[in-house]
Formats: sequence, structure tokens, C-alpha cells
Amino acid sequence: MAVIEAIATTYLEADAASVTFSSIPATYEHLQLRVNARSDRVNYVDTIELNLNGDTGTNYSIHFMGGYNTSTTAFGGTGYTYMQIVHCVTTLGAPASEYGGLIIDILDYANTNKNTTVMDTAWASGLNVSASLRPLVTFTSNLWADTAAVNSIVLAPNVASNFTRGSEFTLYGLNSA
Amino acid sequence: MPAFTVIDHTELAGAPASSWNVTSIPSSYDHLLIKGSVRSDYPAAYYDALGVRFNADSGSNYSTTFLYAGSSTPASSRGSGDSNGGPVYCVPAASSTADTFGSFTMWIPHYANAANFKQALIYGADEGATSTDWEWLMGMNAILWGSTSAIDEVTLACQRGAWQDADFVQYSTFTLYGVTGA
Repeated sequence: MAVIEAIATTYLEADAASVTFSSIPATYEHLQLRVNARSDRVNYVDTIELNLNGDTGTNYSIHFMGGYNTSTTAFGGTGYTYMQIVHCVTTLGAPASEYGGLIIDILDYANTNKNTTVMDTAWASGLNVSASLRPLVTFTSNLWADTAAVNSIVLAPNVASNFTRGSEFTLYGLNSA
Repeated sequence: MPAFTVIDHTELAGAPASSWNVTSIPSSYDHLLIKGSVRSDYPAAYYDALGVRFNADSGSNYSTTFLYAGSSTPASSRGSGDSNGGPVYCVPAASSTADTFGSFTMWIPHYANAANFKQALIYGADEGATSTDWEWLMGMNAILWGSTSAIDEVTLACQRGAWQDADFVQYSTFTLYGVTGA
């Protein structure tokens, strides 16, 4: 048995409002999502909203720090209806071939003794970085105040209507034996 | 040979533990990777911190540079001549939201190279259902161990103030992977 197994990959052949991974088996120790994404927001960068097990209640908290242009920033908030993977999605304002990236760890996602935490590093930069595109590199942690095993993940752009064609999402399972 | 191999996986099943320790790590991999989900019983506090020692070395041989945030203003700091690497702010403590554990990832590249001092990168977050400053905390740490010895032992402990000043609680987990190159 391989330690890291690809559970599913979604490559968008056309724009899509969201991407869903469902029926995630509880047999792994950890999950990891690797994403390159771009949205149809007109300018700046976009954020990914993430919901677990279809829960849209006010059960999510977010904490992040990042670098924005030449400045740093950080934020903590709670009572949200979705997790936020902050400013990791390039938009129509960037050259067509530029997609933001992120790597998300969901540790002990099936351990029903724990609320689920989601930790990620994310970035949206570009060859011709300018302040108008608001390039960021961020480190984010989100909490889902629920001990249920995670069996589905939905990702959607925060501001835009769609992820654009060419965005790619891969979910991996990490074994512990 | 697979790229990733599980060397150790530990979940604290019953009693708390003052540390997680793996010995006799073979030198046959290229890199080590540790992923953990942890919480401590440090009393009357929202955060604890993680410390690391290699090969049970408690001498003044560790330096740490770290970027962290627990409010709207990120900051950086450093220490040297320390008896362990850290602090890594990824450990919720007794006052944190119930059933909530912090996450961390630690890379130790070329851990068995006997010519160079060892470098480790750890990033993690102390989570909680809160927007209050310093009730959440996160950071990235670069740790130097001033030794050319191959690493064959890793110890992680709580160290908000002093090494092993609290215990990891039940359900804390640690997974150590060996990562192989071509």
C-alpha cells in the first residue's frame, strides 16, 4: 500500500461554479489537497470558500498571516459559514496562463474525537507582479467546530462566479501504516 | 522503493505524554517529514508551543528564526544558544476551544548528511473558535541544530516556558515519514 494515494483529480475543461470531492473514504490518516486555480473575477485575486460535509452553518473560524505586496497582514475571525483559503486564486486581471496555487493539509480528518482543522500555504503571484493585482503569499488555518469525520469537500470562489477552465484540483490520502 | 515510508505513527490513546520520541531512525532515507495534530494541558492558557530536540542533545546547540502572528500584526524573532529548537506556535492549551487540536508539518531535509549542520522547517497553527488576539497563534520556524551528526532520534515536547512544561493530551497524533529521492 502506498503511503500517498491520489483519491481524485478534477481538471476543469470548462468554467465551473464549484468543485466537489464526495464519498471520501475514512481509511486514511490525513488528507492533502493540491490546487492550481483561477477565477473569472475581473481583477485582483480571489479567495476559495471551502465547506465540509455540506455544513453551511456558522461553524467555521479562520486565522491567517500573509505578505501582500511589500506589507504583512494577519487576521483572526470566527462564526463564518465557510472556511477561507485566502487570496490564492488569480483572476482575469492576470495573464491567461497564470494560476494561483495552494497545498492544504487536513490532519486526522476521520478522527471523531477532534474538531477538524485545515492548514494551508497558498500564493497568487505572477511574472509581472503589480500592486493592482494584489499578489499575496499566505499561511492559513481554519477550524470546523465539528467532530464528524470529513466525507465531502466543496470548493468555490469567494467573489467570482466560477473557477475558470484549466483549474486543477487533486485530493490525496496519506496512510499511517 | 516508494518515495514515502511511514517510520512511526503514534496516537496518544489514554494518558497524556510529556513528549513524543522516536529512536533508531534509519539513515537510509533522504529526508524526514513529520505531521502532527496536538493539544497540551498547559493550564489557564490558550496556547502552548512545540519544541524539538535531535539525538537527545540538550546542549546549547539550537538556533531558531520564526515568523508568527496572534493578532493583526505579524512579527518575527530569533533565538540562539538554546537547548531545543522552537517555540513553534501550534499547540492549543487547556483554555482553548474543546476538542480542538493544532496542526503542524515539519521537514528535515538531508537529515543523515554527516557533513553539514541540520536545518528543519516547521509551520503550524494553534486553532480555536475565536477572533480574540493571542487566543489563536500561528507561525513558521527555521531551526538549526549545530551538529553534523546524522539524526537518528527526534523528540517533540511542549515548551511554552520550559522543556516539557506540559503534556500532550489524549488523541494527539504524530506521523513520521521517511522520504526517498531517486
